Amino acid sequence: MKKSMLTIKNLQKDFGSLRALDRVSLEVEDDSIIGLIGPNGSGKTTLFNVVSGFYEKDEGEIYFKGERIDGLTPDRIVRKGLCRTFQVAKAPERLTVLENMMLAAKSQMGENPFSALFRRPRVSSFEKANLERAMELIELLQLADLKNEYAANLSGGQKKLLSLGRVFMLDPDLILLDEPTAGVNPTLTMELMKVIKELQKREHKSFFIIEHSMKVISDICDKVFVLNFGKKLAEGTPEEIQQDEEVLEAYLRGA
Amino acid sequence: MPLINFLIYFLTMIGIYSVLAMSLNFQVGFTGLINFGQVAFFCIGAYTSSLLVVKAGAPLIVGFLGGMALSGLFGYIISIPTKSLKADYWAIATLAGGEVIRLVALNEKGLTEGAFGVMSIPQPFDWFFSRDTYPLFYLLLIVACVVTVYFALSLLTNSPFGRNLKAIRDEEDLCLSLGKNTRKLKLEAMVVAGMVAGLAGALFAHYITYISPENFRPIETFLMWAMIIVGGRGNHLGAILGAVVIQLFNISTRFIGGYVPFGSDFMSALRMVIIGVLIVLFLLYRPEGLIKERTKVYDLQGNNMK
Repeated sequence: MKKSMLTIKNLQKDFGSLRALDRVSLEVEDDSIIGLIGPNGSGKTTLFNVVSGFYEKDEGEIYFKGERIDGLTPDRIVRKGLCRTFQVAKAPERLTVLENMMLAAKSQMGENPFSALFRRPRVSSFEKANLERAMELIELLQLADLKNEYAANLSGGQKKLLSLGRVFMLDPDLILLDEPTAGVNPTLTMELMKVIKELQKREHKSFFIIEHSMKVISDICDKVFVLNFGKKLAEGTPEEIQQDEEVLEAYLRGA
Repeated sequence: MPLINFLIYFLTMIGIYSVLAMSLNFQVGFTGLINFGQVAFFCIGAYTSSLLVVKAGAPLIVGFLGGMALSGLFGYIISIPTKSLKADYWAIATLAGGEVIRLVALNEKGLTEGAFGVMSIPQPFDWFFSRDTYPLFYLLLIVACVVTVYFALSLLTNSPFGRNLKAIRDEEDLCLSLGKNTRKLKLEAMVVAGMVAGLAGALFAHYITYISPENFRPIETFLMWAMIIVGGRGNHLGAILGAVVIQLFNISTRFIGGYVPFGSDFMSALRMVIIGVLIVLFLLYRPEGLIKERTKVYDLQGNNMK
């Protein structure tokens, strides 16, 4: 039995009279890749927003590595090792691709004015190490040619890749990916899936992924949760889920 | 000789306003903090330094450092509401903050002499120079300050700290999702900007040797905004260039009252109108200002990173 990375108990979130999350309980185990699927408007992104601290929950508890994290600010949750990407990829428009990568680096010096002014040699050596890692990653993500391009000039898919790159720079223990492959070309999508699998195997990272492509889900996920109208509808291996009557019903009704 | 004296006065004022514009640019152009109360820093720096020296008999250097420190503290205080106010509402709060500081200076007569102002403010090293050469020395002092501020702020904006600030400016939620404490970063930026503008205040007070609340009306903030809009945000050289352009216009038109058909009263009112039109034209046709924000390019060898 693997240790639990993320435990969600009876999570509830209302927007006015709409119950976006209805007593959702689930568990993401250490060293695994978990999928989260469901029809549009079923609460997937809301779940991510609540877990990552961007929305306040109404009821329930969230534990990360055994520690309670609901109520913490988003930046503190990230510093504990849980990070997320956004469904519509965000990128500071007047920072270049390389600056975006450097921005996310986990170990940085010179992030406050004092060290930026008076510890410059140490700042430079950290920057140099981060720059090497950033170059490797943008090579892998096929963004190397765009390294000095403003993020504002990237396509939606390229911004998605960039947000993955930033996450890898940040080096967290659990990564919530909100539709990481939407807008990314199929060849590169397969490439990305390999990278994610590789990271999980080699560095024992855990992933929690919202994804619409069943192909991606069945390729990489150990386990899948299905949300519908804010409730957990089913959980199981990708094969089990694909044969679940209720799940098929939910998707067909939505369509 | 009068012409050369005027030129020195002119350059000195440009220098002081360059420092103010760089400070405002650091907030607006780099961090995305819309501060409409920039003159408060200027006022606090000027009054603190003058009063410490005139009333408390402190050495000039203590006055300058005190002015910077108190102005930085005000930056800390005014940044607290950024936690709960959205950018535009915070901007209005800063406008009010600037007026509060001026009204305190006007009404706390026991401390600030009220509308009479603080007179006979001592000047640094005045015993060393003759009356004729002193303005030139002071100009050099100002130039040294402008250069120091320019390099210090450039170091900051090119550092990881500056990268964080720019990211907050463009996409604050993303910064949170990367674990940045954006509140602390904004606070640090405001303290730095406050100290810089406070230095400008002290330089101003000890230059003209007489200050009153009249010097710190909201119109001063407007002038500083005109400087960064014309010069270009997100670029320290742009702020300096903007200060040159606006001051050139602002000061020179004071002296052409006798040469235009409508008299000097009308001219002084028209001056603000023209600056307003200039701002509108720039926002419409050259929103990035005279000098664009520079793209940071990393040296891939890793050495000598700018």
